[in-house]
Amino acid sequence: MSTAFARRRAPIAALGTDADALAAACHAMARRFHRGGRLLALGTGPAAADAAHVVVEFVHPVIVGKRALPALALPGGGSAATVEVFGGPDDIALVFSSDGAEPALADAMAAAVRSGLLTVALLGGGADGRGGAVGAVPGLDHVIVVPSEDPRVVREARVTSYHVLWELVHVFLDAPEVLA
Amino acid sequence: MTTESLYPFLHAGATDAAALLADVARSTREKVAEIGRLREEVLDADAGALAACASEMADRFARGGRLYVFGNGGSSTDAMAVASLYVDPGPGRRPLPALALPCDVATLTALANDIGFEVVFARPLAAAGRPVDIAFGLSTSGGSANVLRGLATARERGLLTVGLAGYSGGAMAEAAERGEIDHLFVMPSVSVHRIQEAQTTVYQVLWELVQRALGST
Repeated sequence: MSTAFARRRAPIAALGTDADALAAACHAMARRFHRGGRLLALGTGPAAADAAHVVVEFVHPVIVGKRALPALALPGGGSAATVEVFGGPDDIALVFSSDGAEPALADAMAAAVRSGLLTVALLGGGADGRGGAVGAVPGLDHVIVVPSEDPRVVREARVTSYHVLWELVHVFLDAPEVLA
Repeated sequence: MTTESLYPFLHAGATDAAALLADVARSTREKVAEIGRLREEVLDADAGALAACASEMADRFARGGRLYVFGNGGSSTDAMAVASLYVDPGPGRRPLPALALPCDVATLTALANDIGFEVVFARPLAAAGRPVDIAFGLSTSGGSANVLRGLATARERGLLTVGLAGYSGGAMAEAAERGEIDHLFVMPSVSVHRIQEAQTTVYQVLWELVQRALGST
């Protein structure tokens, strides 16, 4: 039991060292929302739950007084075709994956780069330690990799990441002078 | 905690994006430290209870039991994640039958439309639940009426009942006091986000312990 908890400590604490990268991603996301952009969430398998979760965070905030922002989970978890159908140049594509190994998600993010969306990837290290095929898509704007190969541990870090991400987007939206 | 105390720079009339970025990066590091502490607290308080719960869950699975998971909003997505974890655990692990009740949108919307939202989990459990099964309800507040009804119905039918809550447990803590929930784990935090993060760890560690108890490691 204590081993199970101990295994989680370092990879999740490592998020602290990604704080600057998370803050930069949130600043860029806030600027997109400010321009009228929408959030498109991508994730398959266990990460489909995360795509659904981040959407409800943005659309129905848990903190009273925070405004609803437009977000949707792409049908089927996301693909190049659904990014092209739903995505516009002001939008944000946010992808979740425990190892970045899904070819359909890599294609989807490549399509998002081509269409001018802001691209954000929250990934686990995977086999190459760098977020696999999804992490290797050229031109991604923000890539945050949790240093663990355990998909469960990666998922726990990711839940914290997108909670923080939602909160920080609102901090930036409350400071219009930094959104231009 | 107010926005002002978390982000003093914002309220001092900041015009400098770099300073605000530094401010939010610091607050992010604080949140990461906070969830680390909360996990340790849960481990200290509940290690024995988690082991006992996992052992009873493994026993139900070994006898052919199924897991029914449910919650609202963000917790409905946790229900999806729990079901996915059990059914499709990846190589070397044993797949186990688990269903997320919120994903049965036809039944959920039929019940919500025809009767009321408080029965959306209780009715499917009344229809399908057997004494060998497990009901697993998630709520951050501990007060969700439909989750409480679901657990109460499951308990009446002899299912093993497991609940995850936050704050000080709310109505779920009272139900557990009355013996209506077999295993209740409360994440002692007032932040919905930190509660959900600690609950994610709890249900994933429970799954690891169930796998281990069933001989798959």
